[in-house]
Amino acid sequence: MKKLLLSVLVIASIFTANWVAAAADLEVNTPAITALKASMQARHNQLSPFYGAGAIGLTKDGMIAVKDAAAVPLSQRGSLSGLVSAENADRANLYKEIATANSHPEWQNEIQSTFAGRWIDKAQSGWFYQSGDGWTKK
Amino acid sequence: MNDLNKDAKFYCRPFNYSCLTSVVLKLLSAWIPACAGMTCLLIFSPNVFAIGSLTITAETIEHDKGGAANALLHNTRAVIDLDRSNMITIKSERITHDDAELKGANIVVDLAAKTTYAIKAARISYQNLEAQNANIVLDMRGNHSLTFDADVKQHADKAWAKAKMHCLLPNNLATQAWECDDGQFVAARINLPFSLSVLPQVKGFIANINLKNANFSDEAGLHAAEKLTGHLTVVAKQEGAALQFNAALNWQTGEVFWQPLYFANGGHELQMQGNVNGDVLTLDSATLKLDKVGDLNFNGRMNTKNYKLYALDANLPSLNLTEAYPLLFKPFLGKTVLNDAELSGKATLNIHVVDSQLKAFKIKLDDVNIDDKNHKFAFYNVNADIPWSYDDAAQVHLSYNNGTLLNMPLGRTDVKAEVNRYSLVSPDITLPILDGAFKLSDISAARINDNWYWHLRAALSPISMPDASRAFKLPIMQGKASAEIPLVTYSGGTLTTDGAITLNVFNGMATITQLTMQNPLGNAPRLSADMQLRNLDMGSLTRTFSFGAIEGKLDGDVTDLEMVNWKPVKMDAKLQSSDGKYLRKISQRAVENISSLGGAGATAAIQRSVLRFFKDFNYAKLGLSCTLRNDICEMNGIESTPGGYVIVKGSGIPAITVLGYNKTVGWGELVDRVKRVIEGNAELIVK
Repeated sequence: MKKLLLSVLVIASIFTANWVAAAADLEVNTPAITALKASMQARHNQLSPFYGAGAIGLTKDGMIAVKDAAAVPLSQRGSLSGLVSAENADRANLYKEIATANSHPEWQNEIQSTFAGRWIDKAQSGWFYQSGDGWTKK
Repeated sequence: MNDLNKDAKFYCRPFNYSCLTSVVLKLLSAWIPACAGMTCLLIFSPNVFAIGSLTITAETIEHDKGGAANALLHNTRAVIDLDRSNMITIKSERITHDDAELKGANIVVDLAAKTTYAIKAARISYQNLEAQNANIVLDMRGNHSLTFDADVKQHADKAWAKAKMHCLLPNNLATQAWECDDGQFVAARINLPFSLSVLPQVKGFIANINLKNANFSDEAGLHAAEKLTGHLTVVAKQEGAALQFNAALNWQTGEVFWQPLYFANGGHELQMQGNVNGDVLTLDSATLKLDKVGDLNFNGRMNTKNYKLYALDANLPSLNLTEAYPLLFKPFLGKTVLNDAELSGKATLNIHVVDSQLKAFKIKLDDVNIDDKNHKFAFYNVNADIPWSYDDAAQVHLSYNNGTLLNMPLGRTDVKAEVNRYSLVSPDITLPILDGAFKLSDISAARINDNWYWHLRAALSPISMPDASRAFKLPIMQGKASAEIPLVTYSGGTLTTDGAITLNVFNGMATITQLTMQNPLGNAPRLSADMQLRNLDMGSLTRTFSFGAIEGKLDGDVTDLEMVNWKPVKMDAKLQSSDGKYLRKISQRAVENISSLGGAGATAAIQRSVLRFFKDFNYAKLGLSCTLRNDICEMNGIESTPGGYVIVKGSGIPAITVLGYNKTVGWGELVDRVKRVIEGNAELIVK
């Protein structure tokens, strides 16, 4: 009986999780989301060569990280870490704002992991992303 | 001769050239009881060994110089075959001397050539240094030289580095200079070509090190240099327990990134004079000359183990802010509002630190200009005298000649305040803005746990609205505006106002209550407030916004207003004509515009036949409301009708009634319609 209850609970939780992902409108727009997307879009041109050079990569939690700073000339390394932290701040805010706009702030973590997969899917070939313990070149 | 150590005496000279050399010399000297170090080795002659071949095998050979230092050879076999090749071969499993150790040593002494000693050692360790596959050749022919190459590392490291060096040895090792060139240290991400000259001194040395085109980087690439060429001179002398030193570093060329600082070029110098005693580094005087930026003079005491700062006095007599800002300040300003500015002018800085605690500083700014590249603020001719002391209260003074804040021109401002440790109070500050002034009073600010907290009262004395609207790039409004802000509190990134902010605009009054702002100067500022408009003159309002003339007075109530990045995301807004007696007229043009706000479904009940001939109509009441949620505006008028709502209710003759049918409209669409109306492109939809 206990087992049955447990499996019902497990199945229920799986469905709930699926339902959350399915129900969240990831394309929702609010001024905050628009502002964040614009700020990320503007930054993307600066980040793009760093992705290509393998200096930065996409993490499995929907953020970006410095993979190999040595791939970037010394003169650009300071801006590299600044860009990465600014991008991550925007990303964290984006996930929070999308969850808020969906009137479910508690969905933030799931929205973030859904985005993690989307970023990697959308990444250009040659970019690096985190898989398992290390970096994989797409 | 088997009894090697009986009477042998030797001593290390005060200067320890190289532990390895000393081990060799001492071991060799041990063969002759009268021998004392290097000196005797040079008079060593093959005819001493006229006795033929000799093999010595010993489990332990010990050389005791009578003090703490012992030379020990473990499981050693020495073969001296003088008849055939004049070679001495010493094989030893392990040789130790003081804290140096050679493992698997194989020492060949070529006595025929009299002058070449080759040592191969599988493993050498000395203090926390290790070497393996070491080749050491001591060549005493002609110019004496020592050549060393080995894999080296510190005990704690995993990876080995390659080090090589070739030194010309002077005749007197203890008093003349060792010249080493072709030195190189190569490891993963490190390539340091160097040359070295060391002149031994009594209880010390003078060393000159030249780096040429050196590269290094840590694993993360956050501390790295490329093509670094420079020169270091160190004069060191042991005095009692302390090592006195005088060092001069001249960084000539090459770029360095030292997270978060980046130096594109050399031209910088560092001079330091002081001593190291145990873990304590004392700098009696030091000067850092940064090219084009300025000189920093400092002295102090620091623990080299835990970096605890016992004392520091630093003095920057003249800092060139134009150069210093991008090089030294910007990298630390991160995402603050100050991170993208241009600075010019001079600054003076003094700092006094005791026991890792900032005790006092003094900043002076001399005709400094600060210009935000994003045009959020600018301050010109800033002069400041900002003393600060942990123990005593101090008067700070700051002034600027003019500037702008969010496009608003600022006039000459003098700020005087009392600073007491981490808090600041000032009775009043007047900030001239446009033709009026922002008067702050009861100012009090404190920094607690890295967060700012402050509160103040503010009043805006009348400023001209045409100027203000131009500054904010708004349609030109007439009249004057003034405001009273009873109490503003800023706490942990959130700005809150108590009481009501009243603004006198358009001959009426706007009252803002419950105003709070988060990150007002940040990326996505968030604002919430309630707003009340009373008796605004619609005549001047509609003229200002080119809406088509409406005579009358307007009331408005906006509750639960929430704005993100200065765009409304939520509100309950209601605009309607004020109660009371006054002239109520609406122009044909305004009717058309109001109709078009309601979208394609909106109609104006204009009876074409007669009313089209009139330019103005009378109205009894007009009003429009919007309940904004999730980007959708739920619209309503002054009263509902089946399927719609009344926006303008006519009265008298000629009278007109405008109906709206669009109950919901996207906020973006509504804003676009207003823009189109104001730009005069409204389409007339008349039924």
